[in-house]
Amino acid sequence: MSAHDDDLSRDAEHARAALTALAEAPLATPSFRARLKREFASGEIERTAALRAATDTLAPHAPEPQRPHVVALPRRRVGEVWRWVAAAAAVLVAGYGAVGLNAGPAWRLVSATGQGVATVDGRPVAMNHVDELMAALAPGARVRVPAGCRIEIASARTLAIQMVAETDATVPPVPGRWFRRDVSAEIRSGEWRITTGPAFTGARLALTTPSARVEVTGTTLAVICEPQGTCVCVFEGRVRVGRDRTDMVMVEHGHRRFLFVDEQRAPESAEMRPAEAGALPAFQDSMSHEMSGGR
Amino acid sequence: MLDRARRRDPEALEAFFERYFEPVHSLAYRLIGERAAAEDLAQEVFLKVHRALDTLDPGRDPWPWLATIVHNACRDLWRSGAYRMGRRSDSLEDDTARAERIPAPAVGPEGAMLASERERHVRQAIDRLPESLRETVLLYDYQGLNHLEVARMLGIEHAAARKRHSRALDALGKLLHESIGH
Repeated sequence: MSAHDDDLSRDAEHARAALTALAEAPLATPSFRARLKREFASGEIERTAALRAATDTLAPHAPEPQRPHVVALPRRRVGEVWRWVAAAAAVLVAGYGAVGLNAGPAWRLVSATGQGVATVDGRPVAMNHVDELMAALAPGARVRVPAGCRIEIASARTLAIQMVAETDATVPPVPGRWFRRDVSAEIRSGEWRITTGPAFTGARLALTTPSARVEVTGTTLAVICEPQGTCVCVFEGRVRVGRDRTDMVMVEHGHRRFLFVDEQRAPESAEMRPAEAGALPAFQDSMSHEMSGGR
Repeated sequence: MLDRARRRDPEALEAFFERYFEPVHSLAYRLIGERAAAEDLAQEVFLKVHRALDTLDPGRDPWPWLATIVHNACRDLWRSGAYRMGRRSDSLEDDTARAERIPAPAVGPEGAMLASERERHVRQAIDRLPESLRETVLLYDYQGLNHLEVARMLGIEHAAARKRHSRALDALGKLLHESIGH
């Protein structure tokens, strides 16, 4: 307390009391803390940030209009300059055209079930405001699905994701048609069910969780982030799973691999969870139209 | 430990993280008042720390340096358009989080709800303060720093920190009077 405390007005005294009564800071999510600690100690934090920055760069941006800059040139050089301008413009148009044509089918909100308020990039969006939710679910957006709710998104013939209740994750970019086929996303907690379509062939989705790295190259699987670790259940195809790039192992269909947050504990392999054995084929069936439909 | 952390020794970095994660996260939460944003901010702070490990002085307490990084990152967030947009509507998830941690078993669920509602009003009033006043009250009255520490962190004179704090309390008191009416 300082000397001027005695001179506080009545309102100011109330303000101080209100500030003092504010709740203590809550503890951070254990899985988030564990992941950040691992990334900080290993130096992966910088690589992850670079990956995120690259992902942001890949996200489609509208070119900002540039203010024209007029330079006086000798008349005989004007023709030459115009040729260069035309060539540069052609390259730009071709570049934008190629990037535009390369872009895979955009994410579409297939369903948003349950009543509640999702959070997208820290902004609350009611689950029943479908248009708003659809607009917000762009590549790179961080989504939190409220309790009792579920969100399903799909990119036609490419990839479908079901985010179950209480999932906290980022939406991945859709793989390009010819280049930029490797995409990544992060699941902080909760569960994703994923199925891929024919247009995903040759692409790769790398998922990071607080305790695992999962590389999807075409399959149907579930990635479940629990406080103790990450469980990857593979219903169809094969998935590479590991703590990081250096210790990836292949998980075959019908099996699961569990990686503990506690790195002292060895990963465990077993048959896939019975709950997923029912949920994954149901999800795959429900997405069959999206995955087989035309672009 | 700091010397080894500076050389990016993984064990020392782990120890550094263990020592400073909670203070960083707690300061971030107190400045922002939102659980998810505080985690994002803590992540950003540790990224910046990792990038700047070469400049870490093993002979000095790193906390003032860390606190300044938290504060600067928070300022950037306050000034971002996305944050301003987000503050226009309050997140129900954060209300739930607040309600969960209100330690008021004696007053029952109704009392906890009232406390949560009151905290929401206080947070909204804090958000309406100009940035320079907001950071002063949060650092002094909520984080518990003294005027000298606040002045150092904000890069202002000791007397200016005191004056700013006084103005901030007055302004916050008026805003609370308008919203809660006490």
